[in-house]
Parts: sequence; structure tokens; C-alpha cells
Amino acid sequence: MIGPEVIVCAGGGGVGKTTASAALALALARSGKRALIVSIDPARRLADAMGVTLDGRARSVTLDTPGGKLYGLMPDPRRSMRTFVEILFEQEPQALARLLDNRIYQVLEDAVPGIHELVAMTLTARAIAEHCIDVVVIDTAPSRFAVDFVGYPDRLAKLLGGRAVGWLAQLAQRGQGRHDDSGAPKVTRIERLLAWVLGPVVGDAAALFAEMALVLDSFVALNQQTSQLLLGPATKYLIVAAPTAAAQADAHYLIAQLATLQISTTAILLNSAVSPSRDFVDLLDKATETTAPMRDVLRSLDYEWQSRAQAVATIADGFSGSHPELPQLRLPFVEQAEPREIIETLARVLATELCRFVAD
Amino acid sequence: MQTDPAVPQRRKAHAALAPAVFVTGKGGVGKTTVAAGLALAAAQADDGAVLVEFGDGEAGKRALGHKPRNLSHVAIRPQQAVLSAAAPLFGSATLAKLALGNFAMRPLIQAAPAIRELAVLELARQVVAKHPGRRVVIDMPATGHSIAWLKVAQQGRELTGTGPIHDLCDRLLRELLQPGQASIVVVTLPERLVLNETLSLCRALENEIGLDVDRLVVNRVPTMPPAAALIDARRLAERDDAIGAAAGKLSDLLTVRASVWSQVVDSLQQGVGPGANGLTLLPQAPADPTASTVAEWLRHNGAA
Repeated sequence: MIGPEVIVCAGGGGVGKTTASAALALALARSGKRALIVSIDPARRLADAMGVTLDGRARSVTLDTPGGKLYGLMPDPRRSMRTFVEILFEQEPQALARLLDNRIYQVLEDAVPGIHELVAMTLTARAIAEHCIDVVVIDTAPSRFAVDFVGYPDRLAKLLGGRAVGWLAQLAQRGQGRHDDSGAPKVTRIERLLAWVLGPVVGDAAALFAEMALVLDSFVALNQQTSQLLLGPATKYLIVAAPTAAAQADAHYLIAQLATLQISTTAILLNSAVSPSRDFVDLLDKATETTAPMRDVLRSLDYEWQSRAQAVATIADGFSGSHPELPQLRLPFVEQAEPREIIETLARVLATELCRFVAD
Repeated sequence: MQTDPAVPQRRKAHAALAPAVFVTGKGGVGKTTVAAGLALAAAQADDGAVLVEFGDGEAGKRALGHKPRNLSHVAIRPQQAVLSAAAPLFGSATLAKLALGNFAMRPLIQAAPAIRELAVLELARQVVAKHPGRRVVIDMPATGHSIAWLKVAQQGRELTGTGPIHDLCDRLLRELLQPGQASIVVVTLPERLVLNETLSLCRALENEIGLDVDRLVVNRVPTMPPAAALIDARRLAERDDAIGAAAGKLSDLLTVRASVWSQVVDSLQQGVGPGANGLTLLPQAPADPTASTVAEWLRHNGAA
């Protein structure tokens, strides 16, 4: 089976990544694709902007024009850990019950960064199969560490799949004095030290690992699914930036992070980069009918747009200098009260550029 | 048109900040600039301040500009944090490295983030202890889980009951995460949804951690477009020529801004209420404000 095309949007906070991702998915759907937008960003902004309630299931988003289909998926981060273990322990209900009672699990249930992303990707894989999706847009968390999750399944798999879990379980038994001295390997000083430091929690930790070891196979399968989505040959990475110094630094950082994961960035989306045409400002500036309060506003508009143009030039030059091979796509600065209107405007601009991101 | 209902309490005196100030908020709300502004204001006002940042330190450096007098900037890398915080537990940095660097512990620490969070809090405590009398402003990592960050000490203490990790958590709770020892500053944006999320975060901080939110900083609050300009533009837009069309464009733009503005005022009124404690509004600026601009704003608001 040929998997869907996947577009991952990453960027620092406050750059309008969620809106840009939603606009891209909308444009793709209008071009006839069956598109899915996934938001890992814990904010409910996307759900609101698309006018749908989103949860752990992909929901259909109403399009005003004929064409493809658009689905939205936004799993609740507060329920992620629970969803995660429910998926892992689908075949092991008794172990699941024991796990939910485990004190360490109860601490972890609150929030385990990384798990949320993993759960989101698992739910994405399910939605792809269920709705025959052919292109997925993933809106990552708004942070420099947004792409960390690409490597997270692998880190967890190393922990659960390797000798580590067995060793930790042994350590736990020693810590509880339950080991049998005859024939047991000699306890090193470091192990004793660790058992002392971790002592009180080691029993719960060992029980947790023992339960996890039960479902190692499902975990490996889940991990592979996620890796295919994020690291497959049809996966592209877009960096979303805005004309601010912070966004620029975050973008450079993310491009470098992706490179260490052997991923090359496909393009840079420079959001809020194009001010509206200033023709009307010039015209009103010359007109004698323009009143003093209007002139004040025109002056401050002029200052705003000049500041933005300058910031855009700086950031664009910065990217051209360090990453000359990366295409830059400028999106307009949209002043609208309604998020849906902003998404519509950006989608119209992106509609002419889709060939950069997906095959026909 | 109504004037800004939140303006009257802008100059209201806020409660004094504690020695340790945790600045938290979602990514992209301008948390780092506010943290840098708070640290700078404290450095300019009295004996000095420390800005603690997690990561490579670039963000704080960018916000601060040149290195100000009386202000030290500490960057803590999360990976280092675990080893440094664990060193006293194991007796030495070398032993900690040996114990935590082995084939089983390394992946455990990388996959179990609560450990990193605990380490980061412990290092923050160490910085505060090392700089008595100075304001320590801690720019918390951007995360949807800022509660989890602060709760980890409580959970760790309950979970362990005894032993060195218990003692570490206990010390954190006694010496750092106490009213009077630590203040919480939450930074947010004036959008209804973001604001709602922030308010539930504030309630959770108060209920679950027992720390009051001393400042709620609403960043990038737009200014209301002047009503006279809108009225004049609308009048001129009635003309049936090029100037009329241009005035129409101006009036459209101002109308959108006025509606964004009234939505912001609505959200603030509904969410925070006019008499809210510690509410601080910072204006929207066309370019990134520097830490010294933010420090000036905060002082002006009595929030520094």
C-alpha cells in the first residue's frame, strides 16, 4: 500500500503556524485531495478556527466549495497517557487495570511530554486508514523542541526493548531486598548507590516495567507506524516563521535539529510577511480632503508597514544566506477578526503553490 | 466608543514579587521578553538580578541585548541539569555520571521527563540559594504542562515517602515552592481562547500547587484605533471616486481593528474582570520590544 503524503509544519511559538497549517490543508482539500489536519499544539485555536469540535477522532470539516474532503484531528493532551496505555494494552485488560493502579503511572498520567505526540501519531495512522486520507498536514507543538518527538518513539523503544528494563527490574528487587543471594551476580557499588537513591520508588518502577514488557510487541508496532509517518519517503518538513528575531532564531534552530535527524527541510513559509498594497495610503496622503485624525492613522500605518518590510527583509536575507537552497514562500499579513477568514485568505494564496508540497 | 475598561487599574500597585519569580506561559506569547524585562527592571532598581533560562541561552541574550549591569544570565541545558542536580545525591559529579550514564539509566532518564523537570527545579533552587538578596527570574520552558513542572516536587515527595529523592523534593517544597519564596508570573495573549486556557491554568496553580499567580501579564494588547479617523474615513468613503475608494479601504481596515479591539476588551472583562489582581497589560508594538522597553512598561504599570 502506498501511504499518504505527509507535511510536517514546525516553527517557534506565535508565528501563526496553526493557521498556516490549517490553510494548507484547506487548500489541499479544495484541490481535490482527501486531507487531514492534525494539531499537536495543545491550544484549541485550530478547532475554533475550523468551526468544529475536535477530539481523539478525526472530524469532517465543512468546505464551502466542492472538491476533496477535509478532516481535523486534535487529541486532548490531558488524556494522552490514558489513550496511550489503552491502545498498548488493548489485548491485556488485567495488566491495564494493574497499571492504572501503579503509583508511578498515576504520576505520569498527568503529563508526559513526548507521549502526547506519539498518541497523536497513532490516532493519525488510524484516521488515515479509516478515511482513506491522501495527504496529512501535521501542526507540531509551538516550540524549539517540536521536532524532538520525531526521535522519541525510538528512545522509548530503546528503553523498553533493550536490556535496560530487565536490569532495572533486577535493581528494583535488590532495592526491596527480595533477591536471592545464591547465584545472583555480584552487586556493584554503583548499583547499590542507585538502589539507595531510587529505593522507595523502585518497586513501583519495576512493576511498571514488567507491565510494559508485556506489551512490547504492540509498542514496537506503534513505534514503526509512527516512524513511517514521520520519516517515510513521502514526508516533507516545512518551517513556518514570522518576521521577528525570535521566530528567525527558532527556525534556524529547527532546521539544524532536523538535519541531525537526517531530514532536509522542504521550504520556509514566511508568515505575516506581505503587507496590503499601500496605494490607498499614498492616494489619501495626497488628497486635500483627508482630515488630521486620518493623517495620524496613515502615518502610523506607514510606520507599521515599513517596520514589517524591514523585518521581513532581514529574516529573508538571513535564510538566503544560511540556506540558499531553501525556497521561501511569503504569506500575507492578514488583519481579520475571524480566524476562519484568515485561514481562507491564506488558503487562497497557498492554492497556487501546492505543487511545491505535493505530487499531483 | 468606550475607552479601555482595563486602563484604570494599569497603574494599580501590585503585590511585591518574591525572591524567585517563575515566568510561565505557552510558546509564542512573549514569555522570554517579559522574563528578561522583569529581571532587567529588578537589576536597575536594586542590588541585582539573575535571569535563568533553559536551553542554550540565546533567547535571553537576544532579549537582553548587550549584557546589562547588575544582571547575571544563567543558561541551563536540560541534559546537564540532571547530572548537576544528581551530583549531591550520589556524593559527587563523577559518581552521578557513572550511575546515571550506564546503559539502563541513560535511556530511562531520556524517556522519563519527570526526572528532567525535577532536576531543572533543583538547579533553580540552587541558583536562588547562591544569590541571596537578588531577584531570580526563571524563564520556564514553553510547554502545555507548566503545572506538571511545578507539581513534580509534590508528586516526587508523595511517591518516595523517604530517601534522598524524597529529601530533595521536600527541600524544593520548603525552600522554593512556597508563598513568599516564589512568585508566579503568567504571560498570555488577549485572545479569548488563549485567555480562557490561561485562567484555568491560574486556578490550577493556586489549587494544586498552592502558589498564587502574582501577575497575569497580557501581552500585545492592541490599541483602539482613533474613533475620529474612522468616522472621517467612513464619510469620505461615500464619495464615488478614487479617493472615496481609498477612504473605503482605510475605513475597512480601521473597522477590523476596532472589532479586534472590542473582542480583546470583551475577553478581558469576561475572563479576568475589571478588578483582577495583578493584571498587567502590555501594548502591541510593530517590532519586537527589547527587554529594556518591557522593563519600562512593567515599571510604568507598577508590575516590576
